[in-house]
Amino acid sequence: MFKLLVKMAWKNSFLRLSRTLLVIMMIGVSMSMMLGIQGLYDGMTVNMIDKNKRSDSGDISIYAKEYRIEKDLKHTIKNAAQIKEQLQKREGIEAVVLRLRAEGLASTARKSTFTTINAIDLAEEESFGKFSAFLKEGELDLDKRGALVGIELAKTLKIRIGSKVIFSTQDVSGEINSIALKVTGIVQTTNIVLDKSAIFVQSKKLYTFLGVGADEATQIAIKSHDEKLYASLKETYPNLDVKSFLELQPMMKMMQEMMRIFNSITFFIVMSVVFIGILGVMYVSVLDRIREFGIMLGIGMHYKYIRLQIFLEALFVGFIGYASGAILGIILLVYLRDYGLDLSAFADAMQSFGYETTVHGTIKFSYFSTTFLAIMSASVLSVLIPLRKIKTLKPIEVIKAEK
Amino acid sequence: MIQLQNVNKYFYKGEPREVHALIDITLTIQDGEFTLFSGPSGCGKTTLLNAIGALDSIDSGEIYLDEKEIGSLSEDARTSIRLNAMGFVFQAYNLVPVLSVEENIGFIMKLRGFSDAQIKQRVLEVASMLEIDNKLSSLPHALSGGQQQRVAVARAVAAKPKFILADEPTANLDSKNSKALMDMMRELNEKEGVSILFASHDDYIHENVRRIIKMNDGAIVDA
Repeated sequence: MFKLLVKMAWKNSFLRLSRTLLVIMMIGVSMSMMLGIQGLYDGMTVNMIDKNKRSDSGDISIYAKEYRIEKDLKHTIKNAAQIKEQLQKREGIEAVVLRLRAEGLASTARKSTFTTINAIDLAEEESFGKFSAFLKEGELDLDKRGALVGIELAKTLKIRIGSKVIFSTQDVSGEINSIALKVTGIVQTTNIVLDKSAIFVQSKKLYTFLGVGADEATQIAIKSHDEKLYASLKETYPNLDVKSFLELQPMMKMMQEMMRIFNSITFFIVMSVVFIGILGVMYVSVLDRIREFGIMLGIGMHYKYIRLQIFLEALFVGFIGYASGAILGIILLVYLRDYGLDLSAFADAMQSFGYETTVHGTIKFSYFSTTFLAIMSASVLSVLIPLRKIKTLKPIEVIKAEK
Repeated sequence: MIQLQNVNKYFYKGEPREVHALIDITLTIQDGEFTLFSGPSGCGKTTLLNAIGALDSIDSGEIYLDEKEIGSLSEDARTSIRLNAMGFVFQAYNLVPVLSVEENIGFIMKLRGFSDAQIKQRVLEVASMLEIDNKLSSLPHALSGGQQQRVAVARAVAAKPKFILADEPTANLDSKNSKALMDMMRELNEKEGVSILFASHDDYIHENVRRIIKMNDGAIVDA
C-alpha cells in the first residue's frame, strides 16, 4: 500500500506542474541565498577570529599575573624561555611564541601618537601565524632599524615605506629612551588594536633597547586545538595568568553571538517563506482534489492513508526544493569561499571594524543538515491545516454535491 | 443479508425546511439479489442506498449487515464496513486520475491488503470479463465514458464485496454503453454471486433486474 501511496503522492505533486515548480524554485532560491548569507556571516567571523589568533593571542596566552592590569615592563614572565621549552614538549601544542610588548609614543616630524612596540621573531611568527600574509606594502625586513607598522597607525602618522619614526618609552629601569626606526613594511592584521597602534621590531633589538632579560617576555602565545589544554595550563602555572582566546577577546564572542543571531533571523525568515509556500501549494492542491478525497473516503480508504499521501506530497515538494537549494547553495558557497565577495567600495568602514575588504565564505555541513530538518519539518507542518479540511470531510457531502 | 428496521432519516432536522427523507423503512435484501430502487426524483432512493452503503447516518431505526448493526457506527467504523463489504459505482465514475486502469481496479484490493499476485490475477480476470483488459496501462482520462464506468465497476467488484451499490451508473452513458454495462453487471451477479443494488431511472435497468423496490416520498410503496 505504501508503494502505491508514494506513487500517488509523487504524481499528484506534479499534477499542477507550473505551480509546483514555482514553489520548488522559491524554496531553492531562498534557501541558496540563505546558505550564502550564512556562509558569509560565518566566514567574516571565522576570518576575523583566525587573524586575531594568528597576529596576537593565539588559542591561549600566558601573562604575568599583574601584566594585563598594569602593562608595565616590571610585570614580565621572568622564566618565559624556560616555559616555552616546556610547552613545546607538550602534546597538542602546535606552536609557541614569546612576545615582548611596550607602550610608548611614536613620532614623526609632524605627528605623534600612542603606540605599542612589539618584539617579534619573524621566523617564529611565520610558523605561528603566517605573519608574512599580513604584509600590505614594503617587505618583511627587520634588520638594522627596520620596523613594520600597522596600516591604521601608518595613516595616522602619515608615514610610508622608508619614513623615519622615533619611538620613545620608559625602559625597565624607568629611564625615558628613544629609538629611531625606518619603516620597511606596512601590515594589516585586521586586529583593530594592532593595526591602529602596533610597531613590530626585531626581538633582540627591543630587548636590548628596553633592558629586558633575554629569558623574559610579556606574553607567551600558544597555538593549539586541544580543548583540554587550557584547564591543564591553568593548573600547571597557577602563578601566571592563563587566558583563552575568548577571554582575551570578549568582542569576538559577542560578534560570534551576533552572527549567530543574524543567521537565526535569516533562517527563520526563509523557513517562514518555505512554510507559507508549501502551505499555499498544499492547501490549493487539497481544495482542488477535495472531491477526490471524499470519494476515496467513500469507497473505503481510511483517513490515515490520505493523511500519509498528503504528507508524502508535501515532503516531495519540500525535498526537491531542498535539493535544488542545496545544489545552488553549494555552488554559491564554493564561489564565495574561493573568490570571496569584493566589498572594497566600503573598504574604510570594513577595515575600521576589523574586516577584510574581500569577504570569504565558509562551508559547514551543519548548514545543510539544519536546513534539511527545517524544510522537512516545515513541509510536514504545512499540511496540518489542509488535513483538517479532509479530517472533517464527510464523503456523503461530496457524493451529494456531485449529483 | 441486509435488514432495515424502521429506518428514518431527516434532512435539515429541527429547521423550518425539515425534510423526512426516509420514513419507517423496513426491508430485507438477501445475498445475491439484483435489485432496483425506483421512483420519482426526490423519493429517497439515493438516500436509502447511501444509508445501506454506510455512507450516510440515519436518525432512527436499525440497519443490519449480516446481523451486525451498522446504522449507529462511527465514521471510521463505517469506512471499514464500506471497504470490506461494499463496492460502489457512482454516476461520475470517480476513478483516481493519477493511477492506471490496472491500479484503479486493484485499488480496493490494495486497501484491503491483498498480495500483489492476488491483485494482478483478479484484475486481469475482472478486466477481461468487462472487456477492458486492453486498456490496463491507460490513465482514466484516456478512456471514453463507457470505458471509465466499466473500470469503476471493475474496481467495485474486484475485491469481491458482498454488495455493490450503484447510484445512477448509466446516467452519463449513451444507450449502447448503458446496455453493455448492465449486461456485464448482470453477468457479474450471476457468475460472482455478488448482490447488486441500483438506484436508477434507466428503463433498461428496470427491464433487467429481478426485484424492484418502488419508493415515493421517502417511503417504500412496493417491495
